[in-house]
Amino acid sequence: MNQITKEMRDLARELLASGEVKGLIGWTKGSRWYLTPPVVITQPEEAEQLYFDQFAVNNLTGLLLDYRYGDDKIALFVKGCDSRGIVRLLQDHQIKRDNVLVIGVPCMGMSDKKAVTDPRQPAELPLLDKCLECRYPNPVIADRLISGALVSGEPSEPKGLTASEAAKRGVGSKQADRFAQVKAIEAMSADEKYAFWQAQHEKCFRCYACRNICPACNCRECIFESDKKGWVNKSATPTDNAFFAVTRAMHVAGRCVECGECERVCPMDIPIMALNRKVIQDINELFGESDAGTDLDGKMPLGLFKNDDPEEFM
Amino acid sequence: MQRLKAFPKAKLTAVLETMSQKATVWVPSMIAGVSRFAPYRPEIDIQMGTNTAISPKEALFPSTEKIYTFSAYGIDGEFEPVDPSVGLQILFGLRSCDMQGILCLDDVFLTRGYVDDFYGSKREATTLITLGCVTPGADCFCASMGVNPVEHDGSDAQMYDLGDAYGIIARTDKGETLVKDLMATGLLSDTDKSQGPTSDFVLKVDSEGITEKLQQMFDHPLWDELSRKCLNCGTCAYLCPTCHCFDISEKKRNQHCGVKIKCWDTCMFSEYALMAGGHNPRPSKKERVRQRFMHKLRYFPERYGKLQCTGCGRCIAKCPVNLEITDVIKLAGEAKKDG
Amino acid sequence: MSAVDNPKQPAKEWEPNIVGFACNWCTYAGADLAGLSRMQYPPNVKLVRVPCSGRTNPQFVLRAFQKGADAVLVAGCHPGDCHYATGNYFTRRRYLLMQRMLEFMGIDPRRFQARWISGSEAPKFRDVVTQMTEEIKALGPNRKLREEI
Repeated sequence: MNQITKEMRDLARELLASGEVKGLIGWTKGSRWYLTPPVVITQPEEAEQLYFDQFAVNNLTGLLLDYRYGDDKIALFVKGCDSRGIVRLLQDHQIKRDNVLVIGVPCMGMSDKKAVTDPRQPAELPLLDKCLECRYPNPVIADRLISGALVSGEPSEPKGLTASEAAKRGVGSKQADRFAQVKAIEAMSADEKYAFWQAQHEKCFRCYACRNICPACNCRECIFESDKKGWVNKSATPTDNAFFAVTRAMHVAGRCVECGECERVCPMDIPIMALNRKVIQDINELFGESDAGTDLDGKMPLGLFKNDDPEEFM
Repeated sequence: MQRLKAFPKAKLTAVLETMSQKATVWVPSMIAGVSRFAPYRPEIDIQMGTNTAISPKEALFPSTEKIYTFSAYGIDGEFEPVDPSVGLQILFGLRSCDMQGILCLDDVFLTRGYVDDFYGSKREATTLITLGCVTPGADCFCASMGVNPVEHDGSDAQMYDLGDAYGIIARTDKGETLVKDLMATGLLSDTDKSQGPTSDFVLKVDSEGITEKLQQMFDHPLWDELSRKCLNCGTCAYLCPTCHCFDISEKKRNQHCGVKIKCWDTCMFSEYALMAGGHNPRPSKKERVRQRFMHKLRYFPERYGKLQCTGCGRCIAKCPVNLEITDVIKLAGEAKKDG
Repeated sequence: MSAVDNPKQPAKEWEPNIVGFACNWCTYAGADLAGLSRMQYPPNVKLVRVPCSGRTNPQFVLRAFQKGADAVLVAGCHPGDCHYATGNYFTRRRYLLMQRMLEFMGIDPRRFQARWISGSEAPKFRDVVTQMTEEIKALGPNRKLREEI
């Protein structure tokens, strides 16, 4: 058992036994060597289930939304990218600050389980693209820290127990390529772009995994939820899927924390982050560089304006 | 005993071309980066090595289907049903898990007094060709659910993986016709080879007695624990070869006319059981997650005599939080009856 | 199929179908003034009156394209003159992004316009509508994102 896992279990046991928190969200070892899925525990004995390694990719913050109407205090572990989701939920007033206990952990970079060739034999796997492009490997907010993790509200180098492993694996080494996919699509002709997205929207069958895992998608009632309202029903035609994809991208515009979970969970491998990154690229160019979910007191770009914003509509 | 006929794997496209003369042939292929069954066409990227990521139920039960058009100008109104039938089709290379899935769909749509013509017309027009599995996928567990990976006797024809060739035998009249057509092309020849043994499964679970056990577990606290991490998305249900729930909605062209549409729905969505008036008998994740597994492992077997999980493993492969049915079966099996 | 086209209406030569979201206090008033002043302009822009251009969600634009619009116009008060003080500042930010997003999806950027047209700018309203109609006539009908029922 690695050191981080040990510290996680000790802290969890302590928090649950003392009653400081009613529940704790973390990761546990899954049924195969390349799976470390989420787990929610409520008893100190259950702390034994907790585990952390390079497959603990899930952003746990979305699960906090299940507790937003209650008064229970819930603890959860966050990696750098996940912690931006906490700020997202707080800025959107979806959870009360006093009802969440954020525990920051250092991250060695998450491995790409799509590269597994032998389900029985552990092997070295490459990093996920989002980890290669990572700019926030350290938690941006935390109430407790374990294993040497340090809070940083700015883009930074990985810190803590996993720092050297993260550096060796290349966490953050491709930051400059963050918008590469966006630029590749922008370079296509209009018809090529449309054909590209049409092929993606033909695949989508509107399972809403992307929406349900996203910390920025936290509306009490999503417009896609009730077909009586008339916006969409469950019909999964390419045009309806395009409507869903673009509307969701615009609804999270300026609030997307780039955790990349939407793209990871899509069962059809749709490049959802291309849409979100396009919006982020444009926001940076038009309204100034900003990273959503890094500064609790910060303002979301589409929730404010400047008198001298670019003027193209006169 | 019928001597096995076979064709070299290298001649697969020729075989598919032949079959395509008379029917749309759905083959496992790579479409826009995702493996699924798709109608054969010459440049298609065929993927016979492993089972598809998306189940073949879409050939018989499409995700979105028009059912009738309506129009009303003034007082008069008209309804015109949309013909649900398709031309002849062949589902080629179905694995046993998916074949068993189709039998589950048959139970739902064709039995117990009402025949769903949207499914029935397509089913009747379809010839099913199963293919034996030699190497189970990482998430496969069909053997644990009573499905035989080697072959399935519910199909019209069975293919065997002979290494460098595919063997084929007919089971039904539809299958006979198909094999006869192939013989006529000279692509088939006799073979003494047989399918190698299926290698060991990575994922196994003991599902013996699960229905009976679950009959005593409706109020068990296990469901609280299991449901906590579920996202209530539709990934598992939409990928599942046996899930069949659908919703009816409409698209209006203008205030006079439009079309009614049948589309996939899932009990995982929070508004699935929402009733007019606002009552929701499955208000939280716990009820919905419990419903899913109860349906698959208890209610369906009680009604139709077979488990509604065929061990294809797709839900396990793609669930965003790795809520695995094999874990549910194991935990339910081990749980003390009153928690 | 009887439900698709009303058999009572004869087929016509194609005319652009443009949906315009007009803010009640400025653009709609400007359109009204254009009418009162007997200005001549093409009838192709179908106006949807909204209290403020900031009311328009990006999905309204998408829905218009889905339902057969060949182009969409979002028009409101000049920044600084919004009846609700700040509504159109948000419009500006939102549609700067939406314009680029539509292009990213492969829609011709000329099919979406956002403009500031005040209550007294009837000539501007006439000119915007006329220009847009001519441009879209030249571009042809939009088939992208279109819903086929």
